[in-house]
Amino acid sequence: MRFLQQFASALLLVAAGTAQAAALWGFDDASVSVIAKKAAEGGSKEKFSQKTPLATPIALGSLDTLKVLLTAKDDGSAKRPHQAFLVLKEQASGLEAPFPLTVKENGKAVVQISQKDIPVQLLLSAQPLRASVVIASFGATQGLNTPVFDVQINKDPNAAPPTYEKPLRYGKQPDIHHIFRDGPKSPPKVVSLFFVLAVLATVPALFIGWVLLGANVNHLTKALGTAPLSHATFFGSIVAMELVFLLYYTSWNLFQTVPVAGLVGLVAVFSGTKALGEVQSRRLAGER
Amino acid sequence: MWSFLSFLGLLLVTVVSAISTTGDRLLVILDDVADKASYSQFLGDLEGRGFTVAFETPKSESLSLFRLGERAYDHVVFLPTNSKGLGPNLTPALLLQFINQNGNILLALSASTPTPVSFVSLLAELDIQLPADRTALVVDHFNYDTASAADKHDVLLLPAPRPSRSDVKDFFGGSSTSLLAFPRGLGVTLGAGELLTSIVRAPRTAYSYNPKEASEAVGSDDLFAAGEQLALVSAFQARNSARFTIVGSAEMLQDAWFDAEVKTVAGATAKTDNREFAKRVSGWTFQELGVLRVNWIEHHLNEEGVANMSNPEIYRIKNDVTYSISLSEYAWSSWTAFAVPANDVLQLEFSMLSPFHRLPLVQDAAQSTAEAAVYTVSFTVPDQHGIFNFKVNYKRPFLSNVEEKNTVSVRHMAHDEWPRSYAISGAWPWISGIAATVAGWLAFCALWMYSAPTEKKKENKKTQ
Repeated sequence: MRFLQQFASALLLVAAGTAQAAALWGFDDASVSVIAKKAAEGGSKEKFSQKTPLATPIALGSLDTLKVLLTAKDDGSAKRPHQAFLVLKEQASGLEAPFPLTVKENGKAVVQISQKDIPVQLLLSAQPLRASVVIASFGATQGLNTPVFDVQINKDPNAAPPTYEKPLRYGKQPDIHHIFRDGPKSPPKVVSLFFVLAVLATVPALFIGWVLLGANVNHLTKALGTAPLSHATFFGSIVAMELVFLLYYTSWNLFQTVPVAGLVGLVAVFSGTKALGEVQSRRLAGER
Repeated sequence: MWSFLSFLGLLLVTVVSAISTTGDRLLVILDDVADKASYSQFLGDLEGRGFTVAFETPKSESLSLFRLGERAYDHVVFLPTNSKGLGPNLTPALLLQFINQNGNILLALSASTPTPVSFVSLLAELDIQLPADRTALVVDHFNYDTASAADKHDVLLLPAPRPSRSDVKDFFGGSSTSLLAFPRGLGVTLGAGELLTSIVRAPRTAYSYNPKEASEAVGSDDLFAAGEQLALVSAFQARNSARFTIVGSAEMLQDAWFDAEVKTVAGATAKTDNREFAKRVSGWTFQELGVLRVNWIEHHLNEEGVANMSNPEIYRIKNDVTYSISLSEYAWSSWTAFAVPANDVLQLEFSMLSPFHRLPLVQDAAQSTAEAAVYTVSFTVPDQHGIFNFKVNYKRPFLSNVEEKNTVSVRHMAHDEWPRSYAISGAWPWISGIAATVAGWLAFCALWMYSAPTEKKKENKKTQ
């Protein structure tokens, strides 16, 4: 029962379809030819109909002209429609360019297209352009809009390709992330540590060398015995000056460093005259 | 009692003036004031939304768009007029001046009355081309109303308009099944400028022709434009966000086509959605839709352990910074939180001459409210000192322009902001060199002062 219902409705649909198909615009005797500018190169001519579009794209060279001929028919009889367009469509973007056919009273229509008639956006298309025929007019007859063939644009390899600059459109722009300069780099820590050890090793090497040459501090008790205060403060001020430099490196600024360094220097001068005088007296005594 | 009344009055004023963000004084220009009867629903809707509507004819002596140099009206609707020109009160220069002073214009054209010369030159100024002969008609033999235009095919039935780009907000489209009737209208073509946008485009099979000259067939010379190149309803938004909209068919605003019964080619009957569409188009034109407002902008240092002052005038290179902007969008009667359309982003540029950073701003839900959305981004200041701008340049079709610039200085590193030398492993040999020198110097001083001569030396001296 249900199947019968479906069958009946399908039958109704078919009936409706044939009823509509009774008044349809169409075309006949359609052909597309490519006319080369030089007659020697010849051209091609292919026939097509509204039911069977051409399978292979038609190549259009830079100097060639594409010519489409057809006869428009209103419900089977030749007639002039109000709208007879050949529409070229760029398949990726959907951009379309209409080319009206020149139609005579008897429905014979013709249009010639060369590359200079085609908008540059379509010329730059990577895929073939899809050509469709639109035939329609006023009244109740249903219009026709059917794809008929593809057009492959062959650009002139010697001429500069047409350029097209996209118009400005408000929209988001690509992100920009600033690329920072490379930071300062240090050599591997192992290398630094090796040289640290090499530098520090010179200190014991120096001391051992001095000891081998007979360096000693045997006169320390004698010096301290003669001028204890001046020797202690003089040597102390030399050590203190190094401490001032250490503090300047770690935390002090120049305004803290300079007065303290001046004070230590003054102490070194006053105590130094006494201490070095004592050293001189030892030399004069022939003890050095 | 009196204070209560005045408060009530104030409330009433705010309610009424809240309708459009730029004002409620609306001027309607038509041939004969009696003609307004056929547009009663459209005009009634406008009055219902709070506009004070005034009517004038182009020939009226008292008509003036300006008073004492200021706009006398906030918005103007031009309905078709039969006169060839519009007279000295509505010259193209005056209309441009009106736009330049933030006035909005809704222009309704018609195929049955030729477009006045005043508009032809105004539209040419805006890079909008009208058909050359001023009387053109858009027909489509594939999408027409079989009930009212079975033979002439000049009442187009259009699906709900959708934005042509996926990143544009849909202000005009109704439900997917709704139909628009476009009776006896005029199509225009738009120039390549970025200020022009089409709201409704013609179907792919539609075309424009001159009914007087090309009544038999359209040749290649007669064709003005066809397919989606024809804009039936189009919009121009000036740099000052003033809006100018062209509706190709004035009839679609008439009562007869509001909720009219139409029949498609396929045979289905439907009600037109023209009333809703007219509301949306007029609402957009008169700044009731798509108006953006910047509430506040804030930027601060985003680093731990430092004073967190708002909007400082100076940053250092490589500082971490956070920028926030609060945006609201006006929708019919109130300010709402602005949501960036899908596939679109709000971008912040940090630029000196050219942008160093262009980063997407992301909505911060914690700070956003129902009235304002806060967009924020954190980034590191580039390693280049100079005068920089925080710049938000948000210009999109159908949204009013946002261009905000906040200038800050970026200084280089101070001498005491670098890492100390002991933190740099490459400096360790040099530091140990200083330590070795210090140790050697102290030992030398001690030896020089306190070293006793060795026996060997004494012998040497004696031999000398």
